[in-house]
Formats: sequence, structure tokens, C-alpha cells
Amino acid sequence: MIGKKSMIYVAATAAILASAGVAQAKTVCYVTAADSHAYATPANVALQERADELGIEILNLSQDFDVQKGTEQLNTCVARGVDGIILWPLDPQAYIPGLARAQQSNIPSILINSPMAEQANQFIKSFTGPDVYEEGEMAADALSTAMDGKGSVVIIAGQAGNGTTIGRVGGFVDRLKEVNSDIEVLDTVNADFDQQKALVVSRDLITRFGDKIMGVYANDDTMARGFIDAWKEANPSEPTPPIVGINGQKDAFESIRSGEMYATIVQSPVEDGKLAINTMAEILDGKEVDSRLPIPLTVVTMENVNSVEPAF
Amino acid sequence: MRQTIAIVLQYRVAIILALTLTVSGLIVPGYLSETTLSLGLDRAAAIGLIATGLTVLLIAGQIDLSGGAIFALAGIVSTILQPSLGILPAALVGVFVGGLCGAINGGLVVGLKVNSLVLTLATMLIFRAVAHWITNSQPVTGTDIMFSLTMAQIYLDIFSIRSALFIVCIILLHLWLTRTIAGRNVFAVGSNATAAEESGVAAGRVVFFGFIFAGSLAGVAGVLQSLVTNTGSPVFGSELTVAVIAAVVVGGTRLEGGRGSALGTLGGVLTMAALTMAMEFQSVPAYLQQVVSGLILILLVVLDRTVHTRGRAAGAIPLLVTQNPITTGGKP
Repeated sequence: MIGKKSMIYVAATAAILASAGVAQAKTVCYVTAADSHAYATPANVALQERADELGIEILNLSQDFDVQKGTEQLNTCVARGVDGIILWPLDPQAYIPGLARAQQSNIPSILINSPMAEQANQFIKSFTGPDVYEEGEMAADALSTAMDGKGSVVIIAGQAGNGTTIGRVGGFVDRLKEVNSDIEVLDTVNADFDQQKALVVSRDLITRFGDKIMGVYANDDTMARGFIDAWKEANPSEPTPPIVGINGQKDAFESIRSGEMYATIVQSPVEDGKLAINTMAEILDGKEVDSRLPIPLTVVTMENVNSVEPAF
Repeated sequence: MRQTIAIVLQYRVAIILALTLTVSGLIVPGYLSETTLSLGLDRAAAIGLIATGLTVLLIAGQIDLSGGAIFALAGIVSTILQPSLGILPAALVGVFVGGLCGAINGGLVVGLKVNSLVLTLATMLIFRAVAHWITNSQPVTGTDIMFSLTMAQIYLDIFSIRSALFIVCIILLHLWLTRTIAGRNVFAVGSNATAAEESGVAAGRVVFFGFIFAGSLAGVAGVLQSLVTNTGSPVFGSELTVAVIAAVVVGGTRLEGGRGSALGTLGGVLTMAALTMAMEFQSVPAYLQQVVSGLILILLVVLDRTVHTRGRAAGAIPLLVTQNPITTGGKP
């Protein structure tokens, strides 16, 4: 019996040892959204690679989209006494006590990718990631160009209440208002960043509005794909109206080449990951950093589709 | 030698915990510190409070899978009501909702004489769905983040409010189970409900109150989680149920009923928390962590078997099966 027990203990020990690294390097705790996800994975990989170049040790903790796990992992980061924390927040408030604890222990924290509520600002040094509001504005400009500034459009939005959705829809609508555009928004529907849900809501929209749909703005490329499929079902012979998506996925690039989509906005997870660790490196070097650091965004249309790299 | 083995087996939970701490302390730099202890206890508290309630139910030969869903629901209710009732009354209502969910579980299990595994699987889905329904699947935010910061404070360098509460609960439960007649009746019901009934123990009532106790503690854990994070979320606790059952079983409480202890559960909860923290310290990937947890679980169950097979023939049919109206075709 005792032999068996120690055997399993050796296995546990091996698992712990397997990842033991050098202790001298600066260690940064990276609480990421998930290990395997179309956007998060390339961001994680880019962050890790850049950290290796900078000689920073990364303590990688994945929340698997579980906020509660994330709040507990912040405890681990503090207990471990790391030199800095990079947090991918999945909730506007829940992490605040954890961030406060980190601050008490003099551990600087920054946010990657997603914003938190204002009350979090006093506990973080910076927020690096895409400006989702600006993405909405850029989408409005692109769609205006495609439609010569007039006509009527539908918006296929992400999850209701999600920070990214609010920014991307808000930026789009505000921009149209700002330029006194003659583009009218017929309806805004939520499809939760899900292709299948987008397909279903698009069928409804096409039935309800038919030819009145002269343009489409989808909060991301997967939902744009859903609309394209619904359109092809309903009108196999007609070309799609101009569609603008966001994210810059590979298949959106294909759709732009084939003329099914008008534009997408590339938001690179690689840039997202790199910017966060670069910013943390500056903080660790004692430099001051801006409280808001956006990643570069590129509008991709037929004109530049062959010269820009897809985001993922 | 025989005696040594017997002692090792008897205190296996304490030994495994000590081994975990020793090995982690040797391998992981900076592991053995006050901060690790205080923050480890704090993170164990949510699992621990639910496990405390589940210990009673498992001893009584029942199980409750809905703890994680009650955890979420109670937290949401306590958060939503904050603006109208104030923080503390809202928290009490949240705990009450937990107890109410437990009463629903207990009432249905006892009243309809159905298997608690199936019944609480069903209520788990329902409570979780209600949590999504009343929040529209969105996290809800409390009124006072400063209160959350106070709740998350560590006092005396070791305890947060909820970890202290967990320790107090588990010690009280230990005393109740070992020192009172009511506590011993729980064991009687768990090992043989019919015999207990015949010797004058109201088995149904014991089970019913067991569910209310478990529900209330899941409610307490959920409310505290929401207070600490200033957030009530319908997805909170979705991974908790398995972790809680694992912690209780590692602590030596048997799914078959009639055997278990509160201090064992304390050991189980602390072992799992210590392991998780050690592996997170070294950023062992989450899936590998679960492999290790699974191995520990198997190890302890095997050890448990070698300790107790003397008392019962190997392969005897567990009570959950023999005492269960579904498997016995409705006959008690």
C-alpha cells in the first residue's frame, strides 16, 4: 500500500517539478481567459513568446471562462509574491478585491483585452487592448463608404450587456449620428458572437425587411458569416449587400476576396498579447505607462486584403 | 508493522495533507508562508462551506448535486436585493433562499421517496436555469465595492471572514456529529434507514433537515462569494459540485452513507486547496492539475477500502442502492 501511495506522490511531484523554472527572473502572473479559444490562444502564445524574449517568467493561469476561478487565481498570484499581474477580466467588478490585495502587496496589475468598471481604475496601472468603441466607429465609416452614405442597415450585435458589444454598437451608432448620416438602422439584434444564432436571427431579419436591408454591420466576423449563409438561402442568385464585420479572421478575408463581405477590422490577438507583456516589462523597469494603451486596428477591404495578415 | 500500517491508514487524510504540504514546501519556492496559508484558506472557504453541508447528507446516505447552483442563486438574490433592502438584510434573504432550495430538495426526496442523486440533478438544472432567468444571463453588480474590500480583508494575518466562518462551522459540525444524539442519529439513518426507523429515529426528518442544512450552507457560501466580489453571476459555482464531492470523499466520508467525519472533510478541503495552490504556483496546466486531483481521489478510495473491508464483505451492495425506492421497485 505504502509503495503505491508514494508512487502517486512521485507523479504529483513530477507534475510540479516539470514546470519548475529558474527563480531569479522576474515572474509575472498571467490570468488568461482560457487555454483553448480562437482568439485567446494566439494571444496567450504571443504573450509567452515575447516574455521569453524579455527574460520574464510567466505564471500562466487559465480561468476557462470561469470568473470565480479567476478571482481565486488572483489569490494565488498574490501568495506567490509575483512581480506583476496581467489579468484578462471576464467581469466588470468581481476581480476588484483581488486587485486591491495585489496593490496592498505592492504588485502592479494591468488588464489585457477587456475593460473593467471604473472602480477598478485605482487598482490597475494600465489597460491594454483593442478600443472596441473605435472599432464601431471604423465600421460605421467603412459601411458609409460602401453605401455612399445613405440607405438602411441592420446590426447583428454580440451578447447583450457584454462590454465589447456595448462598445462596438455604441461606436457605430454614435458615429452615424456624428456625421449626420442618412443611413438608418432598421434593427439591432443580439446573436451572442455565435454563427448559428446569427444565422437564425438573419433569417428573421431577411423575412422582415427583405430588400430594405442595404447594408449589414456584424459585431464580429463569425456573425457576419451567419448572415451571409442566411442571405444565400433566401436569395441564391442575388449578391449580398455590403457587410462589415470585426476581428479579421481568415474566412472573413476569403469572403472579402469573393465579394461576399465588404470589410472587416483586424484586431490582432498577437498584438494584444505582445502589448500587454511589453507594458508590464516597462512597469517592472520602473517606467510610467499610459493608463490606456490601444492595439493597432486595420480596416481591410478588397483593396488591401492581399497585403494584410489575417488576425487568426 | 501491522500496527503502523493501521495507524497510517486511520490518519490517512492528515498524512496526505502533511505530505502535500511537505512536498510542496520542498519543491515550490516561497510556498510555506503565512500569505499562502491565509489566501489558501480563503479560497478553500467556498468549497469548504458547501462541503460541510454535504458531509451531513453523505453520512445520512444522500447526496446533493445542486450545491453549486444554489451557491449561484443565493448570491444573485442577495446582490439584486441590495439596493432595496440594504446589504445585510439582502444577504440574509440570500441565505434563506439557499435554505428554501434545500427544503425543496429534502421535501421532494422524502415526500416522493425518490433517489436524491436523480432528484438533485434535476433541481440543479432548475436552480441554475432560474439563476440565468432572473439575471437575463448577465452578471449583476452590488451597490458597494468598498464593503467587498472589507469582506476580503485578512484579519490576524490568517483569516478572512469567510475562512473563519468555515472553520467555525466545521468544528461545530464535528461536535454535533460526535457529541449529540441527533448527530449520531444521522449515522444510524445513513447506515440503515429501516433499522433506524424501527428504533425510533425519524429517518425522513433527519434527511429533510439534512437537505435544509446543506442548502443553507451553500447559500451562505454563495452570499459570501457575491459580497466579496460585489457580483452575482449565474455562472458562479458551475465547477464547484465535483470539487466539493471530491473534497468530502477525500476526507473519508463515504458515498454509501453511515460513515464520515467533519474533521475528515476539513482535511479533504485543505488537501485539495493545498494541492491546487502548489500546482498553480508552478503554473501546472489546469488539465494536469485535474489528473493529479483524480489520482489522489482514487488513491484515497482504495486506501479507504483496505481499511473497511474487514467490517463488510467486499463488493457488498451499497445503501444508496439497497435502500433506494427506484432500485427496489418502490418497496422500502
